[in-house]
Amino acid sequence: MILIIGGSYQGKLDYARQRFGLADDEIQVCDETTMALDFSRRCIACIDRFALNRIRSGFDPVEAFGTDPGLYRDVIFIANDVSGGVVPMDPVLRAWREACGRMNMKLASQADEVWRLFCGIPQRIK
Amino acid sequence: MSTYISGGCKNGKSFYAQRVAKAGGSPLYYIATMIPSDDEDLARIRRHREERAGWGFETLECGRDILSCLDSADPSGAFLLDSVTALLSNEMFAPGGVDMDAPERIAGALETFVDRAPNTVLVSDYIFSDAMLYDELTEAYRRGLALIDRRLAARCDNVIEVVAGQFIVHKGALPV
Repeated sequence: MILIIGGSYQGKLDYARQRFGLADDEIQVCDETTMALDFSRRCIACIDRFALNRIRSGFDPVEAFGTDPGLYRDVIFIANDVSGGVVPMDPVLRAWREACGRMNMKLASQADEVWRLFCGIPQRIK
Repeated sequence: MSTYISGGCKNGKSFYAQRVAKAGGSPLYYIATMIPSDDEDLARIRRHREERAGWGFETLECGRDILSCLDSADPSGAFLLDSVTALLSNEMFAPGGVDMDAPERIAGALETFVDRAPNTVLVSDYIFSDAMLYDELTEAYRRGLALIDRRLAARCDNVIEVVAGQFIVHKGALPV
């Protein structure tokens, strides 16, 4: 399993596409409607967006990963790093930011590789 | 040698960029990108001028149309452009209305600038890691700045992230 993290628009998905030759239908790009992760895809992008949807519905996004990391051991996860701003005034965004931190920590600890993208440039941080 | 510098606010980007530019040769140019709109801006410009005093910079005022400042400068000199962020907001949010083509145009202009004036240091701002849901316009601005960042990072010899006055080299090496 691989985790690719970085700020918005830093080229995370481009990097994954280029390195792994991903076809569009092999990627689940989470949007404002995504309530479940599809571990049968090779790549799941914008997991932070999925986390926000779960938080808004009153669920902890980290629970969606279950207790068996084997279920997603071949998945490339892509996460927007939302940890670098002022504490949000909105309690939902506050809970979201906190949940993203826990989710990223969990995935990074289980990942074989963690990459951070900065201005389109990948850096391996695990 | 061209260098692209980014990082969070008040981490020491501008000070380091001045050192890199000064080591880049002469004449030494500072491209002032801020177009003042109020007293706060004027005070900030005064403060920046005082900080630069004694460094030997010649100031080129250029808040828009960045290639135009090469008309009155020696392209073999060293240039400091601080900042890409201000340049984008000047052109994207001009008095005439919002210009959504500004990011693409500025990315192209800056690529040409670096080709013509290879001893250029560019300073940008890393505004991409907060837990906020922005309105569409702000989001377009962030997307636009990141587009310029990626394009210029690909073009420049060095890409440096500044954190608390420390440096992370993402490409090339530390010039000074």
